[in-house]
Amino acid sequence: MRAIRLICWCVCGLALGVVAGLGAVAAAGSVASGSGPPDREAARIIDVGHLPPLLRVPGEAASLRFNVFCPAPGADGFDGEPCDAGGDVFVRAGTAGAFLKIPLRRTDDVADGRYVTDVPADLAASPEGFSYYAVLRNEATGASLTVPSAGAAAPQLSLPLEHAVVVDLGAHRFGSTRHADARVVAAPWGSAPGRVGLLHGPTFGPIGPSAFDVAANGDVAVLDQVNGRVERWRAGRHAGDTTVDVSGGIADMALEADGTIDVLEPTGSDARTPELRTFAPSGALRSKTPIADRTWSQLREGPQGPEVQQEPSEQWLPAARGQRLLSRTAQAAGGHPGRTLPNGRELVVFRAGISEARIAEIAGARVRRAWRLVSTTPLGEVQLAEPLGNRVVVVIRPYTDTQDEFLVLVLGARGVERSFSVDSADWAETAPLARFRLAGSSLYQLGSAPSGMHVDRFDLEVNR
Amino acid sequence: MSLLRRLLRPLLRPRVVFLAAFLVALSLAAAKAALATFVSANCNYNAPTPSPNMYRDGSVTVALVARYEGYHWGGGCWNDNDVDEGPNEPLQTSSTGGEGGDCSSLTFKVWRESLNTGDGGHYQWGRLRNVHGPYAAADFKAGVGVPNATYSKADAIVMDAFASSSHIGMVYQRSTSGADQIVEAKCEACGTNIFTRTYRSDSSYGGVRRMGWTG
Repeated sequence: MRAIRLICWCVCGLALGVVAGLGAVAAAGSVASGSGPPDREAARIIDVGHLPPLLRVPGEAASLRFNVFCPAPGADGFDGEPCDAGGDVFVRAGTAGAFLKIPLRRTDDVADGRYVTDVPADLAASPEGFSYYAVLRNEATGASLTVPSAGAAAPQLSLPLEHAVVVDLGAHRFGSTRHADARVVAAPWGSAPGRVGLLHGPTFGPIGPSAFDVAANGDVAVLDQVNGRVERWRAGRHAGDTTVDVSGGIADMALEADGTIDVLEPTGSDARTPELRTFAPSGALRSKTPIADRTWSQLREGPQGPEVQQEPSEQWLPAARGQRLLSRTAQAAGGHPGRTLPNGRELVVFRAGISEARIAEIAGARVRRAWRLVSTTPLGEVQLAEPLGNRVVVVIRPYTDTQDEFLVLVLGARGVERSFSVDSADWAETAPLARFRLAGSSLYQLGSAPSGMHVDRFDLEVNR
Repeated sequence: MSLLRRLLRPLLRPRVVFLAAFLVALSLAAAKAALATFVSANCNYNAPTPSPNMYRDGSVTVALVARYEGYHWGGGCWNDNDVDEGPNEPLQTSSTGGEGGDCSSLTFKVWRESLNTGDGGHYQWGRLRNVHGPYAAADFKAGVGVPNATYSKADAIVMDAFASSSHIGMVYQRSTSGADQIVEAKCEACGTNIFTRTYRSDSSYGGVRRMGWTG
């Protein structure tokens, strides 16, 4: 009898111990075994791929194409079938007036966008172009998405290029690169002062400092996100480090005139939405601001504060107005197609097709001056497009399947005033459009090699 | 013998037995739970389901499920709650059974490939099916396997990929800047998401196409 009683106590102790043990570990949050929230409803998934025709040449069809990504109808939404999507485009001539609603039609062309509409010729022919937004739906579930997300409050703009200066680049000649005028930063990889962090694993990398900027006094600031700091270099020498609270992911960075450091993170505090972190010159964190869209391309300082080019809207959205940081809704409502220039105009960049880049300075929804860069060598990304006096400096990347270089062009009223190629020097990855900065009349390039990173200066030798 | 019984007698009281059993079970359960990984607790090894069709936009949704679920070197299993349940993992020194895929396993599952490199068919792998697949990024870059082929980067479209010797990412959408939006499992600090990248023009990357799309 006593033995049975002891066994009962023992079993009870074991049972309660198991429950308490599991509970304690779960409460401590150290279980990586599904203690997170339940799965989300698959029907919520909807996203869009869209390349807005920001700048159109005469005779080009004004077609708007969208891919809509959502689960397929039926019990298994991930069986490889496309979703049952639809939607409407709301379009108008210029930037004012009522929008015309046009339904999207479904096609078999997923390469450029399965859902398409042709803008009526009278709207497309407007000298002020046309503006539009789209509402896309999963017809099976009702989930919907508006792009650009502010809809009628900040529609996308498509402008005609009537009088663009055509620059025929021909076939790019690889291997004739210019040497830098000065190497203003040179640092081996590492974590000690004067070194820069490198991230490398079996399935990624190498990833080096992801961005840099040049201060008004010529100091170079390098975002060493791997070591959580901004390094400052003066006259070719390491001048100090500022510790900053960054995620360590590939981020872009820009310096404000007062020394404020803006860092554009790939994900934010919620581990999902990208965010802009603002730091005092001392490195003290001032703010974290989620950006409006799911993805960003680049961060630049505008006359009123930081602006971020975002996707899927493909607009430049203000993150702040002076000292006032903007909500995601307010950012989206301020979307526009080009980067804002100090004079209030915008510089619009549109890489068209495989081997053409269109650059336009616009004001009041009209093109003031524009260039079409056409090439027989494929052109990659436009790394930089920035005014320099009455010229525009463009850095673009010709490439083949085995070669690539950067091509620097100084564009003037009659075409190219100066051009040269520079080695891509891209052994380590950076933020996508953060390899070049223009300061004064010098172009700076962030480069890297297996031995370390550097920033080179190229003097453009043009009057401002 | 009598000495042993005398020594044990105080311990054979109900309260003491209960307490001892409780503490032993508590320790074992806590240790077991703490050592359990996301993979061991959640993932399966079910056979894949053949997919009769495989559309590019239909396969994008497989990648969208993996968004926000983290990055895990050598991994290939994730749920869809938008939380990385294996965060802060060591930097690719060992596979720790956390949540998320790496770049090549994400591509393998999104591209509906077979474990048999000679099989070009379409297979649906559930998100909780723990599978990496037979290809590393360098294999994709070289076009290894019947389903994979090298392809001109300039002509790459949605759901084609760019691969280097150590990484692969799939084209989501071309951007106005000429860069691409890429869906990829990037790194522990980056996670799995849609990022803007310049792989297309980077000569360390080559173009790769999954053959056999329905449309």
